[in-house]
Amino acid sequence: MRKSLGMTLLWFVLVFAPRAEGTRYSPPGKPTLTRCRSPEKETFTCWWEPGSDGGLPTTYALYYCKENSDAVHECPDYQTAGENSCFFNKNDTSIWVNYNITVVATNALGSSFSDPVDIDVVYIVEPNPPERLTVTVMEDTSWPFLRVSWEPPHKADTRSGWITLIYEIRVKLEQETEWEMHLAGQQKMFNIFSLRSGGKYLVQVRCKPDQGFWSEWSPASQIKVPEYFHQEKSVWLLVTVFSAFIFLILTWLLHLNSRSLKHFILPPVPGPKIKGFDNQLLKNCKSGEVFSTLVVSDFPPTASSNYEDLLVEYLEVYVPTEQEQLESKKLHNGCLKCEGSTSDSDSGRGSCDSRTLLLDKCGEAKEDERQKDQRSAGTDAERQQQGWEGEAMAYAHEDMVSPDISGGRVKTWPSVFSPLPQFSLHPQEQQSSLEMAKQHYLSDSLFPPGSTTSYFTQPVHSIKEVLGPSYWEFSSGSKQSDLLHPHMPSCRQLQAHSDVNISRIGRKEVPPPAGLQSTEYADIQRVTQGETVLVQPKMPQGEDYSKVKGVDRDNMLLLQREGMESDEQQETNGSKEDSCTSPTVTTTKKIHSATRIRGEMLLAANGYVDTATICSQPIQ
Amino acid sequence: SNCKRVMFVLSLLSVGVSSQPITDGQRLFSIAVSRVQHLHLLAQRFLSDFESSLQAEEQHQLNKIFLQDFCNSDYIISPIDKHETQRSSVLKLLSISYRLVESWEFPSRSLSGGLRTQISSKLSELKTGILLLIRASQDGTEIFPDSSALQLAPYGNYYQSLGPDESLKRTYELLACFKKDMHKVETYLTVAKCRLSPEANCTL
Repeated sequence: MRKSLGMTLLWFVLVFAPRAEGTRYSPPGKPTLTRCRSPEKETFTCWWEPGSDGGLPTTYALYYCKENSDAVHECPDYQTAGENSCFFNKNDTSIWVNYNITVVATNALGSSFSDPVDIDVVYIVEPNPPERLTVTVMEDTSWPFLRVSWEPPHKADTRSGWITLIYEIRVKLEQETEWEMHLAGQQKMFNIFSLRSGGKYLVQVRCKPDQGFWSEWSPASQIKVPEYFHQEKSVWLLVTVFSAFIFLILTWLLHLNSRSLKHFILPPVPGPKIKGFDNQLLKNCKSGEVFSTLVVSDFPPTASSNYEDLLVEYLEVYVPTEQEQLESKKLHNGCLKCEGSTSDSDSGRGSCDSRTLLLDKCGEAKEDERQKDQRSAGTDAERQQQGWEGEAMAYAHEDMVSPDISGGRVKTWPSVFSPLPQFSLHPQEQQSSLEMAKQHYLSDSLFPPGSTTSYFTQPVHSIKEVLGPSYWEFSSGSKQSDLLHPHMPSCRQLQAHSDVNISRIGRKEVPPPAGLQSTEYADIQRVTQGETVLVQPKMPQGEDYSKVKGVDRDNMLLLQREGMESDEQQETNGSKEDSCTSPTVTTTKKIHSATRIRGEMLLAANGYVDTATICSQPIQ
Repeated sequence: SNCKRVMFVLSLLSVGVSSQPITDGQRLFSIAVSRVQHLHLLAQRFLSDFESSLQAEEQHQLNKIFLQDFCNSDYIISPIDKHETQRSSVLKLLSISYRLVESWEFPSRSLSGGLRTQISSKLSELKTGILLLIRASQDGTEIFPDSSALQLAPYGNYYQSLGPDESLKRTYELLACFKKDMHKVETYLTVAKCRLSPEANCTL
């Protein structure tokens, strides 16, 4: 019994189990209304999504009721819009009326209601895409553009104003991915510019009512833009040619004004050219003497930075007490480069431009030209030296600085010549000495190579002593006194140096610098063979200096000065000019006047040594 | 409104010229349409702001609320489909529009401060404009039944009598109804304007 019962049960289970699984019917799942749309605000359609059907055939029904009415209506049309849809035609559609719509799924086991949805037809309008999209290329102007035109969807009644649509266009090149959007408003035409020549474009359009959803994009319309590159090309060609032309002009202008531009943009930095500052000296000097090399007197700045300007062309040595001697002993070869340099009344003193005595450019190639100048320059340097010291000591006597410079070290190359007076110089020797002196002066080397003479050795030695390592030291002692004695000794020395004919212009004649200024101070340009110191005129900063034009036979430093002041000296010029191998315009001053002036100069100058005195040294 | 009156006077003066009134009428219509469009947009914005400020649960309730209640302007019979609308005369459309706008003058004052300031003035201006249009289209043939304006809704004080606990519901209703009515007026005016335009094609 039990066994049969179990067997029966087992059989039942076996039989019915599969069937139970296969036929698990259930009421249908809940459907959902997916969307309702109206294409023209006159009809609308609703679609729903069915739930599970529960295994049984399920039917769906849509019920709706309008606002303010409890009457429930069923969907009039299930077919027009397709599967799972309900179509409301014009008669059943009311605008501005709320519809409450529910979908019911029913099968044998039961039915299920969807969630109700409230709609107002006005707000569910989604029109059809615009129709008859046409795109044409307008080539009336030089640059073609696209004209896009379309029609509203035929169902939408825009004519009567029942529905107002706005449109939107999008364009892109065939190969691109990004669309270019354009809002066209209510118009049914649109122009697209800025086309690529020869490009293929795709155009689409869509519309939207003032209340509602955007329609789908219309089918794309393709258009090919013709090539208008040739027009572009000509324009570009013109532009290129024009710009190249402008560029060439600009380059040419730049080239013309390159220098001025360079100066404008990068103004030249004035070099550290300190007058009277010997770079070579500084380079060669020892550490201890660095400071002494730096001692510089108050140089009057000169306008000309030209190297040659620094040299004294003419020297008029001032010998107050021995004027007669001087005058009698006119330098015969007064190859005074009377090159238009006038000696002013006060030029007698320091014709040499003491500044220039200390050339900042030692060892320049122009030494040769200025060899002779050195002699006269020596006197200048002496004066200069005195001047320097004077500044320090504030001396103010009429006499030349008595450079008790022994204590101090005056940077004057004239000291080179201090021993020179002791010797009588052969003209040749003189010349060579001058040369040497000049070379020394210029190159800061005691023994200029290849020009050492016997005469010079001793002075050189003394020079060495005086100068020390590489800067000039004013020799003390008799020389000093000689040197420093107001002009007179120097004149004397100069006079004694009868052999020395400063006036003799050397081999090289320096052409007179143009525009000789009326300056007491003169740059020693060179000392000629005739031992004439050629002084180049120098722009005066003060009236205390004059340019030494040269030294004539009378051992008179011929100072050059522009202007008429020295007209009274013209007479002396005559005598002097005899010695001039080349006539100069400048007038030279008499020594006596020079004396006077020199004194003034001494007083006036801030201790500036009268170059004349200094320069006269070597001459003697 | 003064400007519109001036325009109306000008249009009356130029009645002799055939095309003038129509052009002026068109212009007035355009103005009215644009104004009502603006009001409609305002209503739309307010409603969406209000809905977004509500909780999810409250939003769910609103659907039911709206189903049960109705707008205060329901007493005004207006065409509810295109056919009806096109069947109606211009004057009828205009008068209905006028009444609709007018019906909102009172309830708009019960709105919150922000809405009230913006809507009230525009409503009154629109009302004046529609009145001008009515006068212009009447041409003395028909006297506008001003008495209808006095027919306030029987529920004129409907919104004012509500308690504070239902203010949320009422606000929503108010905004929704207002939005709907503005769209109605916009549609009517547009249809009337197109009806009066010389060209058959009304889209610009």
